[in-house]
Amino acid sequence: MIEYPEIDRYASLDSPLHRFDPRAKLIAFLSLIFSIVLVPDLKVAFIGLLFAVFMLILSRIPLTFVFHYLEWVAIFILSFFVILIFTFPGEEIARFYLLSITAEGLYTGSLITVRAFSALILIFPMIGTMRFDTTIKALYRLRVPGSLVQMLMFTYRYIFVLMDEFQSIWTAMESRGFQLRSNFYALSTIGKALGMLFVRSYERAERVYQAMCSRGYTGNPRTLVEFDIRMKDYLLAVSIMGFAVSLHIASFTGVI
Amino acid sequence: MSVAISVQNLGYVYSDGTVALEDVNMEVYEGERVVIAGPNGAGKTTLLLHLNGILRSTEGEVEVFGRSLKRLRREEIIRDVGLVFQDPDDQLFMPTLFDDLAFGPVNLGLKEEEVRKRVKEALSILGLSGYENRCPHHLSYGEKKKASLAAIISMEPKILVLDEPTANLDPRSRAELIEIIKELNEREGITIVVATHDINAVPELADRVYVLNRRIIAEGTPGEIFNDAALLRDNNLEVPEVYKLFEVLRCFGYPCEELPLSIDDAVAELTRTINERHIHLHIHEHTHEDVNRIRSKYEHHG
Ligand SMILES: Nc1ncnc2c1ncn2[C@@H]1O[C@H](COP(=O)(O)OP(=O)(O)OP(=O)(O)O)[C@@H](O)[C@H]1O
Ligand SMILES: [Mg+2]
Repeated sequence: MIEYPEIDRYASLDSPLHRFDPRAKLIAFLSLIFSIVLVPDLKVAFIGLLFAVFMLILSRIPLTFVFHYLEWVAIFILSFFVILIFTFPGEEIARFYLLSITAEGLYTGSLITVRAFSALILIFPMIGTMRFDTTIKALYRLRVPGSLVQMLMFTYRYIFVLMDEFQSIWTAMESRGFQLRSNFYALSTIGKALGMLFVRSYERAERVYQAMCSRGYTGNPRTLVEFDIRMKDYLLAVSIMGFAVSLHIASFTGVI
Repeated sequence: MSVAISVQNLGYVYSDGTVALEDVNMEVYEGERVVIAGPNGAGKTTLLLHLNGILRSTEGEVEVFGRSLKRLRREEIIRDVGLVFQDPDDQLFMPTLFDDLAFGPVNLGLKEEEVRKRVKEALSILGLSGYENRCPHHLSYGEKKKASLAAIISMEPKILVLDEPTANLDPRSRAELIEIIKELNEREGITIVVATHDINAVPELADRVYVLNRRIIAEGTPGEIFNDAALLRDNNLEVPEVYKLFEVLRCFGYPCEELPLSIDDAVAELTRTINERHIHLHIHEHTHEDVNRIRSKYEHHG
């Protein structure tokens, strides 16, 4: 079976971050992420990474779950790191045959890697601690443009349906003896299956649109949302954002 | 009785040239239950999409409570006519059941309190109370089918139009859904239009049947329709198994004027005849011939 992308699998756990008001949480964490990816100093960025890990632990989301998602991204980031340390111009500090590592390259490479990992890790305590539909509603309440909210909403609802549809096409192919090989025949068959999926999604989109019109859809999604923001939410949000700002003060003044 | 829906000379051609409907005439009275029966590709879904103005044809006319849909805005139409789609995955497009059930009422401009009340009621009618925060993807097919009916009930339409409500359901969910539809009709007086090829559901859901095969082929009570073997054969329609059984029993000398269409009818029929006279089943010289004639009559169903 295929595996569904379920970032919100641990949304029903209980932690301070699960109890955090969704809107405040989104704003606080987004500012933190922005702040960290803009930090110019490696040491400060490292502190950011530690804080991100702390937030992750605070969220109680199992680390294995997070690592499973990070595996693939890690390969990407690390290859970027390797390319940077070998190609960045500057003072040479080591040499492998024809390739030289520069101090500047090492610094920049590490800085980018640390920033990227911090940002990625922060995504989990941010949206992994509430159901994805809550995230969507929080965005809706924060007056994020309607078309973006709808896009997220429909992606969330239909990604599973699409995956099921692909699975059923795939099963039908396999049950008639199709085997995945790297030859032209296999590739063209997969191409056709994807085309089929495309046609099916197109037709489904049309029917869903008809169903929406049948219930009075006129272009903007409207729904009822019940959020209850409290003092503790403001406090938590302000402290996280305070931390985000202090990272920049620290790297600007060079206290660390 | 006043006319709820009136379809006159309706024709529809899809953009690829497929002629889906041709000169369709149909009338549904207020409080009535009408089934539209027809084989695959007969145009049932196409016809239903015209009933709430999703498809608008230039050919012919559809009127709801005497007003032409051409002159009504969609918001006005959907207040009266609620359409439940065949595939619940098309119908349930919001992230949670609550959102989905609230979608229609919110669009109708109802107050938040009223919306919440309606959602709650609709869920309880369908036996889905407590499912508010469930995500449609994690529901069983039967639950999805019920939820998509609930999403329309929360809009409280006067006319409920359902496309294949019983398709792909297990016997229990099927019976539950039929019961709910019947109750909505009896208790709330909601007019029901159902498109189906589940022939065993017809006697339970229909006061009147239209047979559609691009055009309206026939109209009548379920009994009248099932009596017309040629009509059924030409339109690939089945007859309830009970009906066939009693037709066979008749060959063995069972006295029965009106063949029962459902198990309930059959029980009533048996009770009546057995009380009234002495039933003696026997094999006479024509029995074999007669039975074979009946079997060949329904042969086209394999
Ligand atoms: N979007 C479309 N574009 C072109 N042709 C279509 C489209 N939708 C349906 N048709 C065609 O119109 C005819 C009637 O289709 P429709 O879906 O209304 O039949 P139906 O009675 O609902 O069938 P079923 O019992 O299989 O649901 C069919 O021949 C079908 O292939
Ligand atoms: Mg259909």
